[in-house]
Amino acid sequence: MKDFHETLYDAVGQSYRIDKLYFEHKTEHQHLMIFHNAFLGRVMTLDGVVQTTERDEFIYHEMLAHVPLLAHGEAKRVLIIGGGDGGMLREVLKHQSVGHATLVEIDADVITMAKEYLPNHSAGAFDDPRAEIVIADGMDFVRDTAQRFDVIISDSTDPIGPGEVLFSDDFYAASRRLLNPGGVMVTQNGVPFFQIDEVINTQQRMGAQFADQTFYSAAVPTYYGGIMTFAWGSDNPALRTLDNATLQACYDAADLDTRYYTPEIHRAAFALPKYLSDALARAQQ
Amino acid sequence: MNPRAIRYGIDHPTLAYYRALVAEHGSPLLVISRQRLIAQYQTLQQYLPHVAFYYAIKAFPNADVIRILAEQGCHFDVASEGEIALLKAHRISGRHTIHTHPIKKDTDIRAALRGGSTTFVVDNLDELKKLIPYRQRVGVLLRVSFRSDSAAVDLSRKFGCNPADVPAIVREAQALDIHIRGLSFHVGSQSLDSATHVAAIHECARLIADCNRDSDNPMNVLDIGGGFPLDYADAQLDLDAYFAPIQTALTALPDDLHVIAEPGRFLVAPAVTGIATITGKARRGDYQWYYLDDWIYGSYSGQLFDHVHYPLQITRDASNLEAAILSGPTCDSIDIIAEDVLLPTLEEGDLVIGHMMGAYTAATATRFNSLSGAKILL
Ligand SMILES: Cc1ncc(COP(=O)(O)O)c(C=O)c1O
Repeated sequence: MKDFHETLYDAVGQSYRIDKLYFEHKTEHQHLMIFHNAFLGRVMTLDGVVQTTERDEFIYHEMLAHVPLLAHGEAKRVLIIGGGDGGMLREVLKHQSVGHATLVEIDADVITMAKEYLPNHSAGAFDDPRAEIVIADGMDFVRDTAQRFDVIISDSTDPIGPGEVLFSDDFYAASRRLLNPGGVMVTQNGVPFFQIDEVINTQQRMGAQFADQTFYSAAVPTYYGGIMTFAWGSDNPALRTLDNATLQACYDAADLDTRYYTPEIHRAAFALPKYLSDALARAQQ
Repeated sequence: MNPRAIRYGIDHPTLAYYRALVAEHGSPLLVISRQRLIAQYQTLQQYLPHVAFYYAIKAFPNADVIRILAEQGCHFDVASEGEIALLKAHRISGRHTIHTHPIKKDTDIRAALRGGSTTFVVDNLDELKKLIPYRQRVGVLLRVSFRSDSAAVDLSRKFGCNPADVPAIVREAQALDIHIRGLSFHVGSQSLDSATHVAAIHECARLIADCNRDSDNPMNVLDIGGGFPLDYADAQLDLDAYFAPIQTALTALPDDLHVIAEPGRFLVAPAVTGIATITGKARRGDYQWYYLDDWIYGSYSGQLFDHVHYPLQITRDASNLEAAILSGPTCDSIDIIAEDVLLPTLEEGDLVIGHMMGAYTAATATRFNSLSGAKILL
């Protein structure tokens, strides 16, 4: 195969040249590939959908990790659901304040494969003594664990597919119970230009669990379709309206080396385009 | 059902080839001819130029057939999760598929989307509404019913909406923000008269033009289904005469209408040959009985489900013909492959060759009597 054609949408789609195939795993139920593309570096796809690329993963991982962590200000215990490629763990552990990060991945093979073929994603994070790796179904973990967390990050695949349960009422409710007071939960929530229903569903389901629920966004080029949304849930509405000075102080104190995230971007990311806020408002009526 | 064709005698090299296959792989066998498969694909391309073909995998769901057709540029018609899995195993992108099963569970839709199949066929409002949660991802073909008197298998009784209902369904889809890409029909399988095809093409073209007149999201696909016939009866079926009116009807369509088709039988049937062996014989009443090692629950299941008699070839010449019965080995009285045929005296170990055994043969075989079925070879 010379090209990868994404199969998300019937009417439109992106294609990438496969310059070298590194890894391919096919079962009856899923098809995973890691290949090199001259511009994007290593690209991982699952069931015809781009999951992550070396060239732009920093945008996604920084925004899903640093926004909740810096808003929280003193997160010590972090839970990552999914994220078997290790990129999210890498960004979370950049925070010296974080003493413990649990990563729950359903499939051990994803981690093994990512360590070998996407080593720049984890960049050694799996070996950090603060990291605990749990191989379990994310839903089972949040239902059963006795641990508590300051920040929960759901780094899931598409809701059509293995990640489905991570977009359910039960998952948001169980996660909410694991948060310490003042905690924050964030989730990957799709590209609303093409998948407006995903945002609306999350508003209903996650919104039912948290005193304050909203979305923020970033444009991740290989998640075709403009901005991607991240869902935000917390019982403390003040956490998403922090002023630039506070965020700047947190950012400076954390001494982070970032390529996308800035305190200004952080604040601005909560401003939603009107087509999106209108759709959310309509759905709420 | 077509009358049974019997071919007597076989040339030596061919017999030697079949014997060598049986010596190596055992009996019964279904042998796929790559050459013949490609020839059928090219023939159909010649008869229906500018039509994009989606092989109906259900006819013979086989990895080699899929690979060879994919190499020729053929696309695929899938109807189930299992068929999508077959394609995945061959790295065939869901981009090159349409999902044609008109009735679906939500899990079927999700599995298809995961497999990258984003074009779905529906034929009523309830099915259309099942696509609402996925409306931004999918395109739809609306299946219309056209009954055919001449088809061996009528496929428009069970599926397809009434042509008169098309405008209302298209309007409803627009209101639901689901894009109907075009219309599809299936006149029935092994249809010997192209009149129904032609009438359906005309009617669909008219419906598309009518609906497009007041639509800002026009339809531009016409899926003419499958059903293209084969000469199972050795009766000099005139394919030129069959296809000519369809060609004429297609030529009259507007240039921006993409025509696609879902052939199953026509592509694969002639590309597969069945080899069975006589394993026993008996004289019962007026008939000489021969028992084969393939059976009505095996490769010959199409004689029941698909209403087809395959042309059979006997390796001996037509001399001293007597009334005979070719039977399968199972205990069931329905397990008869050929009733009341005229055969020369055959012996145990003789091969019986079944021609045109690609479509709806192994696909519908069962495991009755725990018999494992013919081995499939390329
Ligand atoms: C929806 C659909 N498409 C295509 C086919 C293939 O038809 P044929 O083998 O007659 O070409 C069938 C056969 O059952 C069908 O149901």
